[in-house]
Amino acid sequence: MVQEAIISLLQIVIFPGFLFLILAAFFYEWVDRKFVARLQNRYGPLHTGPRGLLQPFADFLKLLSKEDIIPYAADKLLFSAVPIFLLSLPLTALFCIPIINSTALISFEGDLILVIFITTIIVISVFIGAWSSTNRFSTVGGMRACLQMLGYEIPMTIAMAGPAIVAKTLSISKIVQWQTTGLWFILTQPLGFIIVTICFLAELQKIPFDIPKAETEVVAGWLTEFSGKKLALLRLAEDLELVLAGSIMASLYLGGPAGFSFMPPFVWFIIKLTVCILILSNLRALFARFRIDQLMRGVWKYLTPLALLQIILVELIPW
Amino acid sequence: MSSIIKIPFGPQHPALKEPENFMFKVDGEYVVDVTPRIGYAHRGIEKALEDRTYIQDLYLIERICGICSHAHTTCYTQAVEEALKVDVPPRAKYIRTIVTELERIHNHYFWLGIVAHEIGFETLFMYTWRDREIVMDLLELLSGNRVQYAMNMIGGVRRDITPEISSKIMKGVKVLGERMKYYKKICSDDKTILARSVNVGILKTKDAISLCAVGPTLRASNVKRDVRADDPYAAYDEIPFHVVTYDGCDVASRIATRCDEVIESVEIIRYALEHLPTGSIEVIVSRVVPPAEIISRVEAPRGENLHYLRSNGTDKPSRYKVRSPTLANLTALCKMLIGGYIADIPIVIAGIDPCFCCMDRLTFVDINNDETWGWEGEKLRRYGIKWYKKQ
Repeated sequence: MVQEAIISLLQIVIFPGFLFLILAAFFYEWVDRKFVARLQNRYGPLHTGPRGLLQPFADFLKLLSKEDIIPYAADKLLFSAVPIFLLSLPLTALFCIPIINSTALISFEGDLILVIFITTIIVISVFIGAWSSTNRFSTVGGMRACLQMLGYEIPMTIAMAGPAIVAKTLSISKIVQWQTTGLWFILTQPLGFIIVTICFLAELQKIPFDIPKAETEVVAGWLTEFSGKKLALLRLAEDLELVLAGSIMASLYLGGPAGFSFMPPFVWFIIKLTVCILILSNLRALFARFRIDQLMRGVWKYLTPLALLQIILVELIPW
Repeated sequence: MSSIIKIPFGPQHPALKEPENFMFKVDGEYVVDVTPRIGYAHRGIEKALEDRTYIQDLYLIERICGICSHAHTTCYTQAVEEALKVDVPPRAKYIRTIVTELERIHNHYFWLGIVAHEIGFETLFMYTWRDREIVMDLLELLSGNRVQYAMNMIGGVRRDITPEISSKIMKGVKVLGERMKYYKKICSDDKTILARSVNVGILKTKDAISLCAVGPTLRASNVKRDVRADDPYAAYDEIPFHVVTYDGCDVASRIATRCDEVIESVEIIRYALEHLPTGSIEVIVSRVVPPAEIISRVEAPRGENLHYLRSNGTDKPSRYKVRSPTLANLTALCKMLIGGYIADIPIVIAGIDPCFCCMDRLTFVDINNDETWGWEGEKLRRYGIKWYKKQ
């Protein structure tokens, strides 16, 4: 009994809990930066650690030691709380993703809904952060983040319902388990995978959907006023979101930790997660930024009908 | 209307590489009105020119602008040479032309990178700036410097082009021309670039003429006006070339115009290198310039560059005036911005290829009665002394 409690505690704190997830966040920030840099014919991080591997961590430490400025007119409580919200939300959601075996740390019927809900709450937190910092650029950035969410959230949720309908469950762990016996959903629902990928680019505010923090238009958007420790936490939160996005894609469409038995499931998961993150990074290097109205029009005109089409196909085709 | 927010754009802003302030009145995401406020980079160059000799002025003129330094010195040396009634040797004229065109290639590559950055296309930005290194290396090979080439002298040029340098330039511009054709294809094919540039920052032909736009901005509004063709200087009267125009009147046309100009420049450089006349590259000139009033025009990469010189028979000019292309394009810029989106502001401003340090003048605006007046340096100095005595 005590042993079990200790093991589950270790799982939550170390592996595959907080420590692992945060290290993964730093690692995948490096993967993302290095990959995009190579695509753009640059070097990317180079000096800290082997091939710049420790650069994200060094950036984090540096930001922690910087001066933390709170604007005079800001709502101090909310302004300080937002980085903590934004850090804890993707961590919570990641606990629902099966990493070492086909059952997640937290798994119940309906955790898919919880994860989708959390991705929405992240944007609401962004808006609260932008609003409480009372900066003009932040306000515009926050409003853009919310508008963007109104666009991509619907097709993303509809597309994510596809695997759930086929597996007849709303639990991510059970969807993963279904895929160990059946086909991976990327083969049966490629359209859904594409839609979710595009929506995650918007969720992560990456090019071509980095509208809320378009540097040349609104400085740093909703991030403008955050500095020091808060900015460090926010950047870590963004990395965690990247890991979350990759994990959801890997779990729902690539079968999560399922794979051939010559490698442990955990390794399969890492490989799939890396592939998903490389897809996101590759897309980031391919496009120019859209305008907010172009994003909304595109999402409502094309993505939402396509997501609905995917659901119809799921209903028509028995697998 | 209470929903109108005033958004300051600059003087410090990531989209602006130089200090300039635009006060935008926005309604939601739409721009209702814009007021530019110039003068942040005023350096008093025109006044300083009057205190220096013509030789010293050459170096100061070079530093009006970092990118089109050669265009400014060409304009200046032309004015002084005309006042001196000196004929520059044809070889020097050809070398000037070659450097001018290399500078145009440099500027347009630089500009394309900035445009890509403004619309968030980081990959294109990195690629164009990588290729820009080629032209900067060529300029270094030719003149010894990467940015401030200092090729012009009054009466000629400073360095000659040897056959080895000539073949290296030939090789370099071939690569640059091919890369630019590739970028032009990207800019006319890529959906995201088209979405951000077509029908953005419209400047109709009529407006472009009435607001005195110059350079590629004007030519993208389908007006065939180019100092190189209309009032040939250096060796342009002997070199065949096309004036590139597009009729889209938007940012996409401005991109296409500049891409084609680079390809055209490559051809000009090739022709000039192949037909490089022999002879000396300089003539010895007098240091004292006889009294004259000269207007000199040069097609800088950004547009028509206009210099005015009044000499008084000494070795210093009595008045020198510079009208750089950005100042001419500023009124047209305001016209383009009104009615657009906030998100389009950076790309539209970048679309005219602004160079604020070239154009800043000292002008006072009284906010109470909207009076505007200009002061010369001496008057300002006296006013300053008086004002501080009162404190």
